[in-house]
Amino acid sequence: MGQIVIGVSDVKISSKSEDVLITYALGSCIAVIVYDPLAQVGGLLHFMLADSSIDKKKALQKPAMFADTGVPLLFKSCYKLGAEKKHMKVKLAGGASLMDDANFFRIGQKNIMAMRKILWRNNVIVAGEDTGENYNRTVELRMSDGRVTVRSGRGAVKEL
Amino acid sequence: MDIDRILQSINDLPAFPATVQKVSELMSDDEYAMTDLVNAVEYDQAITANVLKMCNSAYFGLPRKISSLRQALTYLGRRNIIRIVSTVRISEYYRDVEGYRLKAEKLWEHSVGVALMSRILSEKIYGREESWLFTTGLLHDIGKNVLGEFVNESFQKVMSLVSDENHSFLEAEQTVLGINHAEIGGRIASLWHFPQEMIDTITHHHRPDLMEGGDNTGAYLIYLADQVCMMMGIGGGGADDLAYRGLKGAMEKFKIHHRELETSMILLSDEIEKAKELIDLV
Repeated sequence: MGQIVIGVSDVKISSKSEDVLITYALGSCIAVIVYDPLAQVGGLLHFMLADSSIDKKKALQKPAMFADTGVPLLFKSCYKLGAEKKHMKVKLAGGASLMDDANFFRIGQKNIMAMRKILWRNNVIVAGEDTGENYNRTVELRMSDGRVTVRSGRGAVKEL
Repeated sequence: MDIDRILQSINDLPAFPATVQKVSELMSDDEYAMTDLVNAVEYDQAITANVLKMCNSAYFGLPRKISSLRQALTYLGRRNIIRIVSTVRISEYYRDVEGYRLKAEKLWEHSVGVALMSRILSEKIYGREESWLFTTGLLHDIGKNVLGEFVNESFQKVMSLVSDENHSFLEAEQTVLGINHAEIGGRIASLWHFPQEMIDTITHHHRPDLMEGGDNTGAYLIYLADQVCMMMGIGGGGADDLAYRGLKGAMEKFKIHHRELETSMILLSDEIEKAKELIDLV
């Protein structure tokens, strides 16, 4: 297969070691990256908004648009391919904001908070995180070893 | 001096093709003749091909397949004709903008996103569409096509002001190069004889709060649409994404709440999917 691109409000799962899951230019959106090294199953969710109650119809059509409907979908899809929750490593990237955005446009912050709350409620520990700040991020999950890299629009690359 | 070279490169830009002005003039006459319109457009072959392609795009939602120019112009309606003709023409000016680490097609996608979002916001706020805002949305970052080369030459300097000195990207451009991409965009719009409200809006699209004189409503609206597209990553990936100032007054200006902004984001995702032909022009 090779490169699998995940767009905004989308989720993709893989169990093939030659695959690389990639999502481009996350702004205030968040990528949730999961990987089970034993089952060699991984997935990437790129959600846009925290709470699906704003548009329930949309949430049915596109559950990956929202954190509260997208995260369960991500986990369940991985379970179907044999992943187990206790082995899954969860990483987060994105949730950026504009400069001096106090009380205004806090969509990035809101997404981060919602995400943490959902994971916390489900006893999931975050293994790596690169969130906030004011630049965009491109995220990649390499299925052969579960390595997650984050590249910022300004050129810096880091591993989660 | 950089600034002289920059201003010179604005003057070196080709004139804006006459087709758009011609079409706008014809359309402003309520009793325009279809034949005149067909003649004005037909003369321009690139536009004819693209008008046909765009008519069959889901975005315009025409009920049947369109195969001739006359048919297209009949079905599209006044507003859409102006929109299509200017969209096709403006798209021709987009270049890879190395200083922003962004490809032409991404900068264009972002511009289409802002144009679509300005329509969504304008309908939400005023209950009607302001069609000049659509064109302004397409043009708001046109200045990057000129400034990109100069930002690239001084990239490290610009970036260190942004990363270490808490400058917005716009402020860093101003400090290092003596001018910013918004002001250059305004000068280009002026060179192309666009109306004053469009020139002012483009010039102030990052700082509508600093606009002196004139009505800043359009500038605030394009500002909002631009910030939302940056947050959603539409045509994103550039070095300057999100390194701009959030202005407290923007949402208060239109008495718009977070929830409405989020609903607009959902609407925009749908519109973007429908507008594939517009985005694929570049």
